[in-house]
Amino acid sequence: MRFLVVDDSSTMRRIIINTLNKLGYTECREAGNGREGLDALTANPVDIVITDWNMPEMSGVEFARAVRANDATKAVPILMVTTNAAEGDIVEALKAGVSNYVVKPFTPATIKEKIEAVLKA
Amino acid sequence: MSVPHSLLTTLVSATEEVFDTMLALPLQAKAPVTGPLDVPANVVATVAFAGHRRGLVVVYSSLAAARQITSSMLGIPVHEVNGEVPDAMGEIANMVAGTFRNRLAAVEPSSDISVPTVTIGTDFSTLYSSAVFRSRCPFDMQGEPLSVELILTGDQVGGLK
Ligand SMILES: [Mg+2]
Repeated sequence: MRFLVVDDSSTMRRIIINTLNKLGYTECREAGNGREGLDALTANPVDIVITDWNMPEMSGVEFARAVRANDATKAVPILMVTTNAAEGDIVEALKAGVSNYVVKPFTPATIKEKIEAVLKA
Repeated sequence: MSVPHSLLTTLVSATEEVFDTMLALPLQAKAPVTGPLDVPANVVATVAFAGHRRGLVVVYSSLAAARQITSSMLGIPVHEVNGEVPDAMGEIANMVAGTFRNRLAAVEPSSDISVPTVTIGTDFSTLYSSAVFRSRCPFDMQGEPLSVELILTGDQVGGLK
């Protein structure tokens, strides 16, 4: 299972990748914002994208829209990991094409459960 | 002028949730205070919020506490922590302010939060105009001081309904 982790915080990328490694997922690439994420995704397809929302250059919501708008990438599951948890936030993210949602702070069990949910969908 | 108690209770529980969930570092909350900082705060991480309410959430910690937090977040020994402290403490402030904001958004119109700003130095003292409401929630993190301050400006400075 190949993962792309998109987050402007190197700390959060490390936490997510450490969590994925512990869950047995070891093929992880990373990008620092949505723009870099799009470049990484078009160069090398992955099975799941995990993205932050608030990032400079291109936000996670703009990134999700761009992924869905491209025939080559539109089917990839997108899991958003963010502190934005107001009802309006979640509606906006799902409309943009995000497949599932993890609110920070999170436990490894939540990440596992949400990965399994997007893979089943 | 101090901040309504219901907001401070919400801030304390948001901070505890972040530390319990993301870090294996339990916090011991102490009574909220107003007035100048009375503990070393070499690392200051700030997130602003605006919308229904306006203000700042500020996380103060000693450098030792910040290195311990960073080590725990990254899963590396404290002595290997090098340049990662600003990003890690920014993410702590982001999660504390974000969790606080989400809890308020569940019971009143929502506010948006900014990206974090982190400053590392010595002998900080922060002064604001007297027109702000501010209170600081101190914690003990395994013997190291850490505190989270809430600063409110604008019209919406009341407690939770
Ligand atoms: Mg971010």
